[in-house]
Amino acid sequence: MPERQNTTLIRHIAVALDCSPHSIASLTIAAELARSMHADLTGIFVEDINLFRMAELPFCHEIRMYTSEPEHIDSSQFERSLKLQARTAEAALQRIAREFMVKYAFKVYRGMVPEAVISAAVQADLLVLGRSGRSPTCRKGLGSTARKALAEGKKPVLLIRPGFSAKEWPVLVLYDGSEGSKHALSAALDLTHHGMTLNILIFGETHEDAEKLESKLRDTITLPGSIIAYHHLPLKDGKTLMRFIRMIDSGLLVLSDRMKISRETVHELINELDYPVLLV
Amino acid sequence: MTLPSKLTPEELYRTCNPLEFGFNTTADIDGPSKATGQNRAFDAITFSMGIKHDGFNLFALGPNGTGKQTAIMHYLSTTAPEAQVPSDWCYVNNFQKPRHPKALKLPAGKAGSLARDMEHLVEALFTIIPAAFSSEEYQAQEKNIHEKFQEQQADAIGELERKGAEEHIVLIRTPAGFAFAPEKEGEVLKPEEFVLLKKEERDSIEGKIIALKTAMQSIMAQIPKWQRETQEKIKELNRNIASFAVKPLIADIRNSYAALEEVTEYLETTEADIIENFDQFLEKEADPRELILGVYPGKFSQKRTSFNRYQINVIVDNSTTEGAPVVYEDKPACQNLVGDIEHISQMGTLVTDFTLIKQGALHRANGGYLLIDARRLLFEPFAYEALKKALRTRQIRIESLAQLYSLVSTVSLEPEPIPLDIKVILLGERSLYYLLSVYDPDFSQLFKVAADFEDELPNDIEGKLAYAHIISSIAQKDNLHHFDRTAVARIVEHGSRLAEDASKLSAHIQSICDLVHESDYYATAAKRSLVQAEDVQHAIDAKIFRSSRIREKIREATLKNSILIETESKKTGQINGLAIYSPGGQSFGHPGRITATVRLGKGEVIDIEREVEMGGPIHSKGVMILSGFLGARFAVDQPLSLSASLVFEQSYSGVEGDSASSAELYALLSAIADAPINQCFAVTGSVNQFGEVQAIGGVNEKIEGFFDLCKARGLTGKHGVLIPASNVENLMLRNDVVEAVRQGLFSIFPVSNVDEGIEILTGIPAGELDKTGKYPFDTINGMAVARLNAMAEKLKKFTASSDDN
Repeated sequence: MPERQNTTLIRHIAVALDCSPHSIASLTIAAELARSMHADLTGIFVEDINLFRMAELPFCHEIRMYTSEPEHIDSSQFERSLKLQARTAEAALQRIAREFMVKYAFKVYRGMVPEAVISAAVQADLLVLGRSGRSPTCRKGLGSTARKALAEGKKPVLLIRPGFSAKEWPVLVLYDGSEGSKHALSAALDLTHHGMTLNILIFGETHEDAEKLESKLRDTITLPGSIIAYHHLPLKDGKTLMRFIRMIDSGLLVLSDRMKISRETVHELINELDYPVLLV
Repeated sequence: MTLPSKLTPEELYRTCNPLEFGFNTTADIDGPSKATGQNRAFDAITFSMGIKHDGFNLFALGPNGTGKQTAIMHYLSTTAPEAQVPSDWCYVNNFQKPRHPKALKLPAGKAGSLARDMEHLVEALFTIIPAAFSSEEYQAQEKNIHEKFQEQQADAIGELERKGAEEHIVLIRTPAGFAFAPEKEGEVLKPEEFVLLKKEERDSIEGKIIALKTAMQSIMAQIPKWQRETQEKIKELNRNIASFAVKPLIADIRNSYAALEEVTEYLETTEADIIENFDQFLEKEADPRELILGVYPGKFSQKRTSFNRYQINVIVDNSTTEGAPVVYEDKPACQNLVGDIEHISQMGTLVTDFTLIKQGALHRANGGYLLIDARRLLFEPFAYEALKKALRTRQIRIESLAQLYSLVSTVSLEPEPIPLDIKVILLGERSLYYLLSVYDPDFSQLFKVAADFEDELPNDIEGKLAYAHIISSIAQKDNLHHFDRTAVARIVEHGSRLAEDASKLSAHIQSICDLVHESDYYATAAKRSLVQAEDVQHAIDAKIFRSSRIREKIREATLKNSILIETESKKTGQINGLAIYSPGGQSFGHPGRITATVRLGKGEVIDIEREVEMGGPIHSKGVMILSGFLGARFAVDQPLSLSASLVFEQSYSGVEGDSASSAELYALLSAIADAPINQCFAVTGSVNQFGEVQAIGGVNEKIEGFFDLCKARGLTGKHGVLIPASNVENLMLRNDVVEAVRQGLFSIFPVSNVDEGIEILTGIPAGELDKTGKYPFDTINGMAVARLNAMAEKLKKFTASSDDN
């Protein structure tokens, strides 16, 4: 399994666009971050190869919500529809990038969506994705691209859901003293704007461990103009952690999959919690 | 025959003795002025105002300036405050039919407070409703409902997706919907791989996909229903939240108006409407594009609309009214009477709503009295018809004239009519009343009572005191100097002169009012603290002088003999008649020469004025009466063998009236009898076929006109005027005329018949029939008969010789 790189200096942000509400939310957040970090923004649109394959099959029919009979669609129709979607996505990128005054580029790829997005984002320092895509079934958990990015991505990934603003919501970072959690803390400090609250959830084997970690942090980090709130949790299991995170009810959750808790637990947390997540 | 005596100075002018008054100045007079001599009119007013049946409205008729309005106002000022204060009226939105705003009736003073309560309610709703809808409770419930729908949808599709996955069929989101395809290792099966499959496998895949497709279609068919259900749930939630926020506020207002059924009903419909349209109270961000375009930002225009929707348009507010309202509508245009529906321009279109309904005078006076000038009412297009309609139907229905006559085609309203209970008082001249009575059948149905104001008051102590009251009230009201009793007496005398009757006083209050103001001006100029008789005289003289240009010009032309008037010698067939000129409201008299000539003829009297169409019908009638008189007196036994011509010399603008007919008869008799007339005299009076002299108008001005000319030429004591004896009552002559009479320099003879007149004018007796049925030879009549006989002889001879030839 590939290791996520320790990238805190973000100069290039990639954002996956598919015209879903999640992807539009991602685009706005990506533009906000790009502006605050003076980074470039690249919009990635992937034409799903599955659609073209399906169009070649003799019995491929599209079932629409407001059309009584399913309609056969050939590849040229998909071609046109996807071009239209790409144009819409590009227009959205253009509008938001201009609004936030950031440099931007728009790229169109064709392939299997999760793979194509991940490979397109290789050059980026941060990949911004919607938590879920356009399929109604993946509404509750993570979308296939997000799952793939978590599992296979080498760069920090930011998973967004609609209704979140990086400027207004407090940040919650998970800290256990591990190398990965230090990177997460560093990213969280970067993302905590003036006047906002940074919640640090410290967990250790025991209460004393957590207190030690806190006192160390208190000595080392300062955040003028912002509030830092420390929370302790003796580490038991993923479910307790999840409950605690829900209790704090913060905005962006920053964490690493290279902490003392298992990578699977981290992924489960991300999948279950309906919060925007930055995984470093 | 006994000739009439010259009139004495006392008969020429009835003085008003200041000592008759019990006060020294008008400042001593207390209490409001009481119009005297208008008992008939007052009786009509009392009757009309007292009777409660329909159609008993009042028409106050009389010349302008006779104080009709003042008298009615005075009457109403005593009765109206005793009456019950009428209700308030307002228009409110009709939520079901916005084109038909509802009229609400409230006790006096309540409409204003309801309007304020509703304003406060709307203000409060802009805070309370957004607070309720942004509460965590609402947000959570709304999210929950949406989530449920999403779950329902996702579960159904997810189930299908799982079912497909078991059979290696994958559900794919297409740009516009869903599709199923066979999968291999998480990817859609490539077409070339699919072709390589066995036919049975391909058929099996196709069958599975068809089954899944059908299942998916049935889910799709369910989605609109789920959406509708979700929408209903959201609506229900909204209603509950809005209702919870609104009900207590409305209940507060409802408690204040619990006794008023209509208001509580309105509040109930308002509550339901607010709950149904709660979103209008949720403020939205203004669209920057709207700001650039200069239109109302969204939230402000929304606020404005909401304010309007629940506004109370108070049409009648009687909160400060005492008793029944008394309204005088100065400009009785249709929209000023029945109200109007205004429009405002919105993005180039004219729009309106119930808040733009404007009240009219009928609304203001409802439950009381409305006074309107009849002439002004008739001058305003459609106003009279609108007033009649309101009175006939007993309701005020506001209709836009522009809409009614299709002058404007835009959205308009039909407000609910308001019941009308009113007394309308029209003020106008008599001619208008008579015209309306004849030509308008509705008029007599709607204005059943006429208050006929007198033109004159009796010149007795009561009338004089009424004048004193009027002067006193004008002085107090307009902050003028008070009048001493000599000044009051002089005004009374002038009132008598205006009435042209020594036994009457003019009821034309406006003229008296003007004289009071003018007298005050001269008293102020003379630095007097009280207005005295000489100030009043000054004002009268100054007014005459201001308007004397034409009179002076005519007199100047006469003195230069451009207009020939003899005042010294004796002339046959020539006499001084007296004419009245009335340029611009000021009348004056001046003598005019009338001449008559006779010749052989068939007995006709030719009126030259009529021949050239410069004589009016009354004048022509007068001349024909002369023919009748001559025929009856001189042609009983034989036909008249003469033709006579009569003319007003140097008359260039036509002659009307019969007041010169006696003068014409004298000229004719003089011409027939060949008896010269003394030109020291001037004559006025009409005559009938029996030779009786009848009364005429403007006697004072006529006498003064001749007097002024004689005075300018020098009074000799021979000058005088013959007037009808029946006009003696009308004499109120100028002081200088009276003085001249007193000194014997000028004479006025009251004449009853032409025989008296001709004797005074010629110095020769008229003559009466003797026992033989003949007139004595040395009388006018005898001379006339002799002349006529001679002419008859001549005519006979002439006819015989012409027959011979």
